[in-house]
Amino acid sequence: MSELITLFVTSVLINNVVLNQFLGMCPFMGVSKKRSSAIGMGLAVIFVIVVAALITYAIYYWILVPLNLQYMDLIAFILVIASLVQLTEMFIKKTSPALYKSLGVYLPLITTNCVVLNVCLVNISNSYDFAHMLVYSIGTPIGFALVLYIFSTIRERLDIANVPNPLKGNPIAMIVAAIMAMAFSGFAGIV
Amino acid sequence: MELKSALGAIVVFGSLVGVYITLYKLNKKTPLPPGCEDLKADCEGCHDYACTNNPHHER
Repeated sequence: MSELITLFVTSVLINNVVLNQFLGMCPFMGVSKKRSSAIGMGLAVIFVIVVAALITYAIYYWILVPLNLQYMDLIAFILVIASLVQLTEMFIKKTSPALYKSLGVYLPLITTNCVVLNVCLVNISNSYDFAHMLVYSIGTPIGFALVLYIFSTIRERLDIANVPNPLKGNPIAMIVAAIMAMAFSGFAGIV
Repeated sequence: MELKSALGAIVVFGSLVGVYITLYKLNKKTPLPPGCEDLKADCEGCHDYACTNNPHHER
């Protein structure tokens, strides 16, 4: 049990997918200008990663391994993620217009979010059992959403701050991201 | 054995592509909920012109 808690804390804070592994930088920079957008993107990423990890884990161990097709994991996972995003978008369109209004526009963007593929591949390459896979697949997107939310609140304040002209926009955002990465590296001592 | 493995690979790949195409077409046919016809992402991130959220598509 303590191993699972350690894995969760590690995936959320210590090995944070954005600040430590530098994955998912496109939505991190692009969808962090407003807090509401960051929350929508974070929720959509959490949902898609958890479901994609479950499906790709099942496909790998129930189809690819018995057929000795492990080398097809990358292409199979990409197709699964793309299909899942289509299915999710269609399902949300039909069942919950309110949810579609807040998440729908970000769903196609998730197809190209490398964090999703990274989680699916790490689950396989680290040979996680089901419990570890589930914890890692929940922890990683929570870490992504947490960092995205914190970053968006800082950027909202930066909009009204007196920033020198050459640093306005993305340059000051990159500096903030670097300071956040240094701050998050301090969590390494807790495990 | 190699032929069987190659056939398996083709079947798996074809099935996944088929699933994706089917879901893509079904998704495109599904009508948008009222009030969501003109949703735009607040994204000025990577300037990737292939991305559907790039403002370039609205010009």
